Amino acid sequence: MSTPYNIVLGVIGSDCHSVGNKILEAYFTENGFNVTNLGVMVSQEEFIAAAIETGSKAILVSSLYGHGEIDCAGLREKCIEKGLDDIILYVGGNLVVGKVPFEQVVEKFKKMGFDRVFSNEGSLDQEAELLRKDIEERLK
Amino acid sequence: MNEGATNVSVYKISDEKFNEIRNEILATWPTGKDVDFEEAIKYQQAIPESKNFAVAMKKAGEENRTLLQPRAGVALVTEHINLLKYLETEGEADLLPTTIDAYTRLNRYENAADGVEKSLQARTSLLNGFPAVNHGLVGCRMVTEAVKSPIQVRHGTPDARLLAEITLAGGFTSFEGGGISYNIPYAKKVPLQKSIDDWKYVDRLVGKYEERGIHINREPFGPLTGTLVPPCVSHVVAIVEGILALRQGVKSITLGYGQGGNLVQDVSAILSLKSLAHEYFKREGFNEYDLTTVFHQWMGGFPPDEAKAFAVISLGATVAVLSGADKVIVKTPHEAKGIPTKEANAQGIKATRQAVNMLRDQRFPVSEEQNIETEQIKKEVRSLMDTIYRLGEGDIEKGVVAAVEAGALDVPFAPAVCNHGKILPMRDNNGYIRIFNKGNMALSDEIMAYHREKLEERAKIEGRNVCFQMVTDDIYAISKGALVGRPR
Repeated sequence: MSTPYNIVLGVIGSDCHSVGNKILEAYFTENGFNVTNLGVMVSQEEFIAAAIETGSKAILVSSLYGHGEIDCAGLREKCIEKGLDDIILYVGGNLVVGKVPFEQVVEKFKKMGFDRVFSNEGSLDQEAELLRKDIEERLK
Repeated sequence: MNEGATNVSVYKISDEKFNEIRNEILATWPTGKDVDFEEAIKYQQAIPESKNFAVAMKKAGEENRTLLQPRAGVALVTEHINLLKYLETEGEADLLPTTIDAYTRLNRYENAADGVEKSLQARTSLLNGFPAVNHGLVGCRMVTEAVKSPIQVRHGTPDARLLAEITLAGGFTSFEGGGISYNIPYAKKVPLQKSIDDWKYVDRLVGKYEERGIHINREPFGPLTGTLVPPCVSHVVAIVEGILALRQGVKSITLGYGQGGNLVQDVSAILSLKSLAHEYFKREGFNEYDLTTVFHQWMGGFPPDEAKAFAVISLGATVAVLSGADKVIVKTPHEAKGIPTKEANAQGIKATRQAVNMLRDQRFPVSEEQNIETEQIKKEVRSLMDTIYRLGEGDIEKGVVAAVEAGALDVPFAPAVCNHGKILPMRDNNGYIRIFNKGNMALSDEIMAYHREKLEERAKIEGRNVCFQMVTDDIYAISKGALVGRPR
């Protein structure tokens, strides 16, 4: 059995899309992560507080309603401010309003300090594998 | 008959109480002070009947037509008007929407103002809807005056009192939502009694317009979480919200249901929704109201491929018209990607229009299978309604709050903490939505045995046990090209 890393999961901002969040929780739990699921409508402060409290290695942010750009801005800076310099930040979902080429979305969110950006078409198996790899990379 | 039947006026919010709340609510954002009810009545009186939503719904019901309505909303007034005009002319929508942004839905008007500012800078909408409270009476009237069709406010707001005051005074003639349907699927920490109380205010406001001869349509939000919701769950919420609205003087009610995917179940659902609603409205002592229905095209995950998305849209259009729904809410080929462009939005309406027109003189043949499903839905709804009446000692409002708290009424996959969240639905072998785990839902052993039998049938054919994996498979099945989530 691989190490059960702690991770924080939630849907950011004023977004109440709850279905995928429940599936993600079930999936990552089943795949050996200790998931702290904050559910929907989570503020940046709540993500950070939960990550500190649980000693999490990563924060997985979802956004499905299009306000992702506004809601996610500044999260990396706030993490650093609270001493979470090394925390892994993932973001995924329908991140912007309108049909923007995905490469542009990735670029935009990477600039904001996210380590990986996912569309809603990715495979969960792949994401879990990347997450484990990224965590182990940071621990070296 | 219950005691409430003879004196329905006891439930109405008193004028004194109403005015007290009104003064408080209108002061929560600067644009609230522009609302003057007498001036609003005069403004509404001048709106031509052809633009009245309640009149349009009633006529659709009488003429057996299915009206088409998209969803749409952007941050800025001019852009929003351009979008609506495009959907009206190029898309030939019968009814128009104004979808409200997510910040406004949570009464975060400062965030919405920030979104407007950033949208101006970015020269594109960074909000997922129209912030009607921020734009105020002036902005709303610019929008409602710019279009020829009846126009409705569509949102997801647990406390929509200020939004209702501003938009109704702003010329909108229909208002979506309800104290349960705009709490459980849309909020996290709002107590159910609180949202029900706030929606009683909205309904009373609509009642006040009705008393002055202004018809305003009300539409409880049918699909709830839009994810494998069994018809009995959404029907009960719709019927209860209908009664709560009637108690405050609402006259025009449109009850909704979201496409499940199995043709027979969907047709049965629309037919049973209408007859059950009449039954319970009369039981509560109401006889004078206009009841119509709305069918929502598939509310769950869509295929990213646009051609495939059109197939989902057209199937929804088919069921809407064959079930005799009075209105259909249209999806777009961009659904999987998020908010659509105006072109994609119009394409969704056009695809729907073609299917609706080709089927408008046809009806779904009554079959044995349909009769069985219709009776099954009715049996389940009555079982849940009986429990609500029992828990409320005859009162439906008290009963529904108690039922949700106890999990006797439970909405699958909902974000709200006030919801029990233990019910697990999944599809049977023919794609009907059945209940795998009822949680605490007030459904008899006999009803559950029927569901179990149907699910075992599927499990046997798929060579696996009835399990949670099936729920996950079903949730993503349509976006991956099928209705039932079969094992790979």
